[in-house]
Amino acid sequence: MKKQLIKILYGVVIMLLLFTSSCKKDYISPSSVPIDVAFSSPQAMAEITVGLQRIYTVGRGSSLYNRVTINGLLTNELTVLNQGNTGEYQLQLGSGNVDGTNSLTAGLWTTSNKIIFDAGNLIKNAAKLGDKAYASGIIAYADLFKALALGDLAMFWEKIPASIGQNVSFADRAQGFTKAIAAIDEALATITANPISATFLYNIPAGIDIVNSLHALKARYSLFSSNYAQAITEANAASLTIKSVFNFTTVNLNPIYETATSTNNVYAPIDSTMGLPPSLAPDLNDKRVPFYISTNAANPRFRVSGFGAGSTTQWPIYLPGEMTLIKAEAYTRQNDLTNGLIELNKVVTKTPASDAYGVGAGLAPVAGLTQAQLLDQIYKHRCIELYMSGLKLEDMRRFGRANSEKKRNFLPYPFLERDNNSNTPPDPAF
Amino acid sequence: MTRLKKLRLLKCKQIFFVLLLQLYGLCLLAQVNISGKVTDAEGKGIPGISVSIANTNLGTSTNVNGVYNINGDLRAGTYTLEFSGVGYKAKTQSLQIGTASSYTADVELTGDVLKMEEVIVTGVSAGTTRKQLGNYISTVRADELTKGATSNVLTALQGKTAGAQIIQNNGDPAGGVSVRLRGISSILSSSEPLYIVDGVIVNNATNRVTNTQNTYDGTTFVGTIGQNRLADINPADIDHIEVLNGAAAAAIYGSRANAGVIQIFTKRGVSGTPVINFSSSILISSLRKKVDVNKAPVKFGGPTDGPTAFTQDIITTAGTPAALLTNTTAVTRYDYQDYIFRTGIGTDNNISVSGGSEKTKYYLSGSFYYNQGIVKNTDFRRFSFRANVDQTLSRIFSVNLGLNYINSASNEKPDGNSFFSPMNSVTIIGNFHDLWTRDANGNLKAVGERGRVNPVSVIEDFKQREETNRIIANLGLKLKPMRGLTFDYTLGIDNYGQGGTTYMPPFAYNVNTAFFGGGTTLDPTLNGYMSAGNDYFFQINNEINGTYQFNITPSIGSTTQIGYSVQYENNRYSLIQGRGLAPFIETINGASTPLQSVDDRSEISISGIYIQQNFRINNKLFLTGAVRRDGSSVFGEDQRNQMYYKASGSYLLSDNDFWKNMSWWNTLKLRAAYGESGNLTGIGAYDRVNAYSSNSYLSRIALTGSTRLANEGVKPERQKEIEVGTDMSFFNDRLGLQFNWYHKRVEDLLINRVIAPTTGYSSLLDNFGSLENNGVEMVLNGTPVNKKDLRWEITAIYNHNKNKVVEVGPSLTLISTTTGAPVSLLEGYPVGVFYGTFFAVDGNGNQVKNSSGIPQIEKGTQNSPVSYTPQRDANGLPTGTTLRKVIGDPNPDYTASLTNELTYKKFNVRIQFDAVQGVDVFNADFRTRQGVGNGKVAEQEDLGQIPRGYILGVYQIEQWRVDDGSFVKLREVSLSYNLGNLKFFKDINISLSGRNLISWDDYKGYDPEVNSAGQSTLLRGIDFGSVPIPRTFKFGIAAKL
Repeated sequence: MKKQLIKILYGVVIMLLLFTSSCKKDYISPSSVPIDVAFSSPQAMAEITVGLQRIYTVGRGSSLYNRVTINGLLTNELTVLNQGNTGEYQLQLGSGNVDGTNSLTAGLWTTSNKIIFDAGNLIKNAAKLGDKAYASGIIAYADLFKALALGDLAMFWEKIPASIGQNVSFADRAQGFTKAIAAIDEALATITANPISATFLYNIPAGIDIVNSLHALKARYSLFSSNYAQAITEANAASLTIKSVFNFTTVNLNPIYETATSTNNVYAPIDSTMGLPPSLAPDLNDKRVPFYISTNAANPRFRVSGFGAGSTTQWPIYLPGEMTLIKAEAYTRQNDLTNGLIELNKVVTKTPASDAYGVGAGLAPVAGLTQAQLLDQIYKHRCIELYMSGLKLEDMRRFGRANSEKKRNFLPYPFLERDNNSNTPPDPAF
Repeated sequence: MTRLKKLRLLKCKQIFFVLLLQLYGLCLLAQVNISGKVTDAEGKGIPGISVSIANTNLGTSTNVNGVYNINGDLRAGTYTLEFSGVGYKAKTQSLQIGTASSYTADVELTGDVLKMEEVIVTGVSAGTTRKQLGNYISTVRADELTKGATSNVLTALQGKTAGAQIIQNNGDPAGGVSVRLRGISSILSSSEPLYIVDGVIVNNATNRVTNTQNTYDGTTFVGTIGQNRLADINPADIDHIEVLNGAAAAAIYGSRANAGVIQIFTKRGVSGTPVINFSSSILISSLRKKVDVNKAPVKFGGPTDGPTAFTQDIITTAGTPAALLTNTTAVTRYDYQDYIFRTGIGTDNNISVSGGSEKTKYYLSGSFYYNQGIVKNTDFRRFSFRANVDQTLSRIFSVNLGLNYINSASNEKPDGNSFFSPMNSVTIIGNFHDLWTRDANGNLKAVGERGRVNPVSVIEDFKQREETNRIIANLGLKLKPMRGLTFDYTLGIDNYGQGGTTYMPPFAYNVNTAFFGGGTTLDPTLNGYMSAGNDYFFQINNEINGTYQFNITPSIGSTTQIGYSVQYENNRYSLIQGRGLAPFIETINGASTPLQSVDDRSEISISGIYIQQNFRINNKLFLTGAVRRDGSSVFGEDQRNQMYYKASGSYLLSDNDFWKNMSWWNTLKLRAAYGESGNLTGIGAYDRVNAYSSNSYLSRIALTGSTRLANEGVKPERQKEIEVGTDMSFFNDRLGLQFNWYHKRVEDLLINRVIAPTTGYSSLLDNFGSLENNGVEMVLNGTPVNKKDLRWEITAIYNHNKNKVVEVGPSLTLISTTTGAPVSLLEGYPVGVFYGTFFAVDGNGNQVKNSSGIPQIEKGTQNSPVSYTPQRDANGLPTGTTLRKVIGDPNPDYTASLTNELTYKKFNVRIQFDAVQGVDVFNADFRTRQGVGNGKVAEQEDLGQIPRGYILGVYQIEQWRVDDGSFVKLREVSLSYNLGNLKFFKDINISLSGRNLISWDDYKGYDPEVNSAGQSTLLRGIDFGSVPIPRTFKFGIAAKL
């Protein structure tokens, strides 16, 4: 009897415990902000836009490092110093050696899409804010990085993702430039309607001139889209004297300096030809060569200088020379050789002292060129003026340079994408 | 009165009657004394044997002389005395209590080869004998742990328990150790067992308080490096260890035990005259094997140092067009190993006092252990104090308390995986630099032109130190309110503070800024690095169990248990760090560039409740079933609480009458068990929450979204394991054989799965797919000779485990690692296989070589991750895209151990061999040594014995770095001699032992038993700058007072 009683008692207790005891504790992390909470705070949103800049510029995984390095290695600007750096070495070897495992291409693909995704969320949520002047800052800053990310995808891949989401489809890369321009237009329109508030500007790091950068990028992508009139208008709208740069500190180092310049173990400039064929090689007196490349007695003889010279060297978002060369090319392609030559010679004759960043050829003007010759010269001066800017592969295709001068024409799609998105297009042969 | 009411009243009356009867019964009891001596086959008293009187709650244990004494109130009648203890077959003896007041019962116990009668506590709170278990549990005794010249409890377990792969990942004096029972059972989280010391769940985390540089960031990029906190446990305090391999016992320990349980029991007091035990020993450690270095008298290209230095001559091209240099320069070659390594000296001293009365027993110990590493200026020191007190308060109530304070500290050098660890600094520079020359100011000079760290700086100037203060406390209460009913409560607290400092002084020469140098300009804002990291951990666990045992019929017994446990832990980790240091100042105050500091805080709560029912039928069939409900705060709110089931049974075929004639076959037990568990700590405290984290950036704040998307409703992994086994003994128990087969399947596997970056994220944390472990374990014990003066015992253990990723989302996931190891998750293959590029071979399996005689990387068309079609161009050389396949597997085919122990009079010899076979190691150091020019292949190239460009040609072929990691090691040798008594010293024992003395392997590095990724689950079998495991000799003396 007693035993039975105990058994019954046991049964009741167990039933009670099994169904009442459960873990209900909910602990909140004190060191991060859940997504929905973050988008309820204007200041948190401003900080997320700053986060876009961080993703774009900080470290070896940044868009900036990958864009400059991929482009530099594919177009012979750079040479790998230690092939233990497998990703870089694959790019130097080029063609079939660059495959879907490449860490640099996967990195650029990932950060670009992340920026586009985060920027999209910011723009969508900023529109709901009451403080329109504050919202205008969030939208413009986010659009600036969105445009950069879209442009990077369109410069390196034949097809770009049509959107962000599950199993997205792909669009022709020209769409990338179109969408980048649309983002810039949205930003410019927002700023026109509601000038960016000072409160917002306190939240972002010094360095970037938002409006000038938007115009400059629009000029760049308009040229890439063969919209020459718009390219000229926008190039004119971008200031040639106001600097717009990514800043670095000794905590967040210039990524090119951090990985390449300071180590002498990853890559260095190929040599003082900047990888150009003899017919287009820089003039011996071209002052831009010593600006970008330092020469040493010790090995390696040629080392990165220019915008990767030091730990905190600023990285320009655009160069004044690029704006001038955009105009030169746009005029020339529209067969306005006179203006084309005038603009080209502005770059050819510019002295380092007269350039906001100290980039100046300081050469005698050129004259008497046919349209084809003029385009060749514009290509040459773009390659020198914009050395290690990440734009050369796009230029090579636009100027119809032979495949033998480059290691690949377009990048293969990363396995990260191919394995998880059935719409991923086939890889280009070269 | 209705019938029901009548019944109720009757019940009440009955209860009252029963109580009354008990009171009355008390009056009939007589005070009696039962005493006796428990001896072994040689007639020596055995201490610590538990003696109890069946069906009463009277019991005690024998004192140091094997004598026991029970005083209690017993009615006249026949009683059964039960004797049991670790290592002996339990015995029962009948005793007739009459009118006398004292009785004597002496027994002789015999050794128990299968340990069938051994009391097992793990997984069964009230304690049961191994005989009854449906699942396999092994027990390792203290004397087995202390013979192997190690003071780390985990390395002491190597080769002593079936189903365990125990790897010392690093040869540092407190180097990390991984334990895997029955293979890898998780991908995302640690796959280490749950450690319990006297009921306290003890933390075995690897915390990064040193090696804090950002170059070590990322868990699957670098791994889990450093010491794991079980290094704090002093093996000399341990009485025995129970190792539970499977999930079947998870019902008791909850789902934290899904990778098995290692339960450690420390020594307890024995009643009698206080006994003082002391031991002292000297340890001598040295490098077991040096790696051969390049001795070529020349290098390619120009000078080794100075303004026109040219290093990495083997693989660096120069000139226009770029080509490998073929001109040579005469050089002096050095062997930096002679500088880095030394013979380390250590000492291990223990003293303990134990004793007590019948009611109060105590064990007190103090220990000091110090051991130098084989790398200069590294060491480990541990102070440990322990007090265990057992107090019987009354016939029904007892209490015990255990307190363990530990202070452990180590001087370290940076771990591998960097350019500035002692091992890497010799592997990553050519061996032609004179490291030791100094300039006029006494400053070291740069090595070559690449800004590498001079190893002399690492050895002499770097300071890296960590220290842990820890308290492990347990309080236990035991209540036996009535016959058959027991309640026990355990409160355990594990609390430690671990602090580490790292200091890399500013360099006086060019060191790459990526290695925290100041570059060629000695930039004062970047030169040098310091950090202070702290981890505070607190954990409390409460377990309450109730057990009720009764006999349903004389032949059927029942044990019912219910239990509730609740655990809470919190962890606070903080790190301050800076670079650009002022000379001499080692703290953050001296840093011109404070780097991002880290402040991580987390809390976890886990709770569980279970009920377990066990039936014993005729004492030969045992059946157990259990259900448990577990919850953990780390999972999604709706998925937090889960039910798990368990069942097991065992049948002693040999206890049947028909078996009695089988004189040569003594025991045959068949057993089977099924158990489920969930991995309650499978993800971090806040991993399920999608959030933005913040960083200071350009004097502003940047909020950055995670690249990982989490399913907020993520649930625990569910492991289902089935185990079938048998225990057999033959020839009067002279030969024992145990065999287990298991199938373990983990479903709802937590994976941080790669997803298309076009989703806005790089990975998705969710329950995907499953993995499996199938294997067998065999243990053979034999005593070929068992004479009075000579005893020879053999133990052989064999484990085979086949791990397989059944489903992981995409069929292939490549993991990016700092070492370049191509670790992957590939469906149908074991976790962590190496998947990469390989040598092109022709139809006969010979390497395809180009006209210069250089092997080629295989190319062609990759049809799927595991299928490809090689292609050849007109010259017969590979063409197409680079191909990949599985090129190595860090999971061994089998592990085995063979131990022989010989006792001749007062001599004892024990020899243990451990084997790990069919395993691959990604030997990153091997390639680097050739690339920088200090390896033997580089020597061949320098001397023209292989074509110039050979190393450059094969450098990108990942298969070149995959090395055979199989080995057989002479793990432990111990010789001891018992001198007997001398004056007031008793039992003086002198011993000489050795550890890791010889390794038979084909490995091209130091030691294939290594993992530079530390205690990582995913990254295993990687060699990149880890300190090799030393060869250790130990000379010790122990005595009693």
